[in-house]
Amino acid sequence: MRNVWIIAHREYMERIRTRGFLITTVMIPLIIAGFAFGSTFLASRANTNLRIAVVSSDPQLAQQLQDELIRQQAESGSEATTGAGVDRRTNPTKIAVEATLPANGVKQSLEHDLDTGRLDGYLWVSAPAEGTSRPVFAFTPRRSSLSKLKTMLASSLDRILLRSQLKDRGVGSAETSLLLQPVAIEEVSRAGHEDVESAEVCVSILFFVMYLVIMLYGMNVARSIIEEKTSRIFEVMMSTIRPEALMAGKIIGVGSVGLTQVGIWVGMVLLLAASSVAVHLGGDTLHIALTGAQIGFFFVYFILGYLLYSSIAAALGAITNSEQELQQMNMFLVLPLLSCFVLLGTLVATPDNTLARVLALVPLFTPLLMYFRVSVGHPAAWEVVLSIVLTSGTICGIVWVTSRIYRIGVLMYGKRPNVAEIRRWIRYS
Amino acid sequence: MAIVELNHARKVYDTKVAVDDLSIAIEPGTMFGLLGPNGSGKTSSIRMMIGITVPDSGTVSLFGKPFSRKMLARIGYLPEERGLYKKMNVLDQLVFLGRLHYISASVAESRAKEWARRLQIVEALPKKTEDLSKGMQQKIQFIASLLHEPDLIIMDEPFSGLDPVNASLLMDTLAELREEGRTILFSTHRMDQVEKMCDNIALIHGGKLVLSGSMGEIKSRYPRNRVHIAFEGDDAFLRDPRVEKVRRFPGQADIALRPSASAADDAQALLANALRRARVTRFEVTEPTLEEIFIEKVRETMPEAPGLRLQAEAEQEPEESYQSV
Repeated sequence: MRNVWIIAHREYMERIRTRGFLITTVMIPLIIAGFAFGSTFLASRANTNLRIAVVSSDPQLAQQLQDELIRQQAESGSEATTGAGVDRRTNPTKIAVEATLPANGVKQSLEHDLDTGRLDGYLWVSAPAEGTSRPVFAFTPRRSSLSKLKTMLASSLDRILLRSQLKDRGVGSAETSLLLQPVAIEEVSRAGHEDVESAEVCVSILFFVMYLVIMLYGMNVARSIIEEKTSRIFEVMMSTIRPEALMAGKIIGVGSVGLTQVGIWVGMVLLLAASSVAVHLGGDTLHIALTGAQIGFFFVYFILGYLLYSSIAAALGAITNSEQELQQMNMFLVLPLLSCFVLLGTLVATPDNTLARVLALVPLFTPLLMYFRVSVGHPAAWEVVLSIVLTSGTICGIVWVTSRIYRIGVLMYGKRPNVAEIRRWIRYS
Repeated sequence: MAIVELNHARKVYDTKVAVDDLSIAIEPGTMFGLLGPNGSGKTSSIRMMIGITVPDSGTVSLFGKPFSRKMLARIGYLPEERGLYKKMNVLDQLVFLGRLHYISASVAESRAKEWARRLQIVEALPKKTEDLSKGMQQKIQFIASLLHEPDLIIMDEPFSGLDPVNASLLMDTLAELREEGRTILFSTHRMDQVEKMCDNIALIHGGKLVLSGSMGEIKSRYPRNRVHIAFEGDDAFLRDPRVEKVRRFPGQADIALRPSASAADDAQALLANALRRARVTRFEVTEPTLEEIFIEKVRETMPEAPGLRLQAEAEQEPEESYQSV
């Protein structure tokens, strides 16, 4: 144990002192914040002021359309503030409508306006076709990306026509507005444990944190084992300590670096959230109700998953001799993790059926699936305990096998081993 | 009690027999030379002594007891494949390796500094390992293997790749360590290096023990029938009937006399003969060198052994010109 600690300490100190560590620690949150801020900023800038022309023999239509669009936006804005505790602050798009009478040459001048950018689109209204009551509308947007404008216009025009028909039949305008009021469905979540949505969010966060950390640091474990081989220090190490201690030390040491970094990031996020900066950033803030147990299990399963995948990475490092070979082995880390996430999708509705219960006990899937079940489903206490025991056992098993492969592998350096050789190495004492 | 004892050790890799029925014993406080050409099984033997590999058959004993990993704390090992963490600061690295050998960080640090003074590389301590020359890295590794003051020091080719000044610095250091009572085993393929240094030697070839014993005893088995002569002038005396073999160098010659009961007298007669025609600046009568003994022994036991050459020839070529059977 003492040697495990010394190895881990070295790996940790050597990595934490590098400039690379400092850079990733500072840069990654900056980049993410930059993206978040940038996209919010761009969204607030985009499509804010649009200008369209309505070509119709009825000059009032343009004004009606303008009024209707404003009314519609007021309604959707009020919906956003009441909706399910989620603040979807869409940026209201101001649409200015101008009226044009159909005449010769109008089309050419409108097209010209589209080209110069003075107009963002025009709506051509022609008389109803034979046998129908509604006029024909043709909308020409400046860019295809403005096509969502079409749906806004369509619903507005719908209402305008309805309004005029209701008016024709003698319905008062106040009554009409009441009739046309859109339906709002408010989402009411039940308290605490049953909060599937927030549990899903947590599992997704766990997945992404785990994925990121494993990709960043799991591979570092593998690399540091390859470093032992390329620097040829393994012979000194093997004449001093047990390979198991070396492997365990590397996984813990490199692992702690990852945890430190993630810890720093989480700390930064919490600081940011606590400060008023978050308000100005204006990103999506999610209201998540988490119990203490959920947070506890998050850390338990995160660390288990991290150790498990790091030990797999260590095994990959033990059977390869160079970075390039290691890259080809990457999928052994990515695939189980991804398949886990795919499984999550199919199990999301039924966290307590037999399939979910069995899969959650498979060590490769335990960290995500069992955490998901703990959050959303009702796993028995023994299932939780068993999953932790199985995963811990698997980690130890992998470390043991890996240290064997490593020990024999380094003494026969050179070619990459085939499966038969690896089997023989494991049996070799 | 022998400090290291290999008893009929045998190690086979895949198809190659690396060590075959090797028995050696190293007495406390002695300097032991493990000799043999490249690929003869020196490293394989050493790896078995320190538990990196386990013999397929036969036994390994250290400090009078069967091998166990606990004993490693009393052994200092310098592997043939030198290796250090390249990006690591030299002093940190020494402290780290010292701690793995169960000494505290502060003790490791003070000893590392002391050793650096002794081996004249104090300026290397604050540097990164990868910034050092190969020779300096080798000295650092030499220090690393000695920090925990081991009772048994095992060094695989400790002088290879060093310039003569540094090689002799390390040789002197090893000699001092032996004076302190430590047991030292080192391997080399340069047989001339061990003649002066070792109390006992073992010569191996093709994984088999060819010759072993104390330096003096081995040499005394052979008559003093080698003559080194440096001269100016006529070399006709070299065609003397008492001369069996001659190797000519500019201004000098190494001569092997024919085996006879009176080899000492033969040498004197040869000198008299030489003085008549040439001016002799140096004349020396010795036993055969270890290398000559080794080659002779290998020819005796394994007549078909190829690739054996004399040192002088081998020196001019890469070391790989030695081949194992």
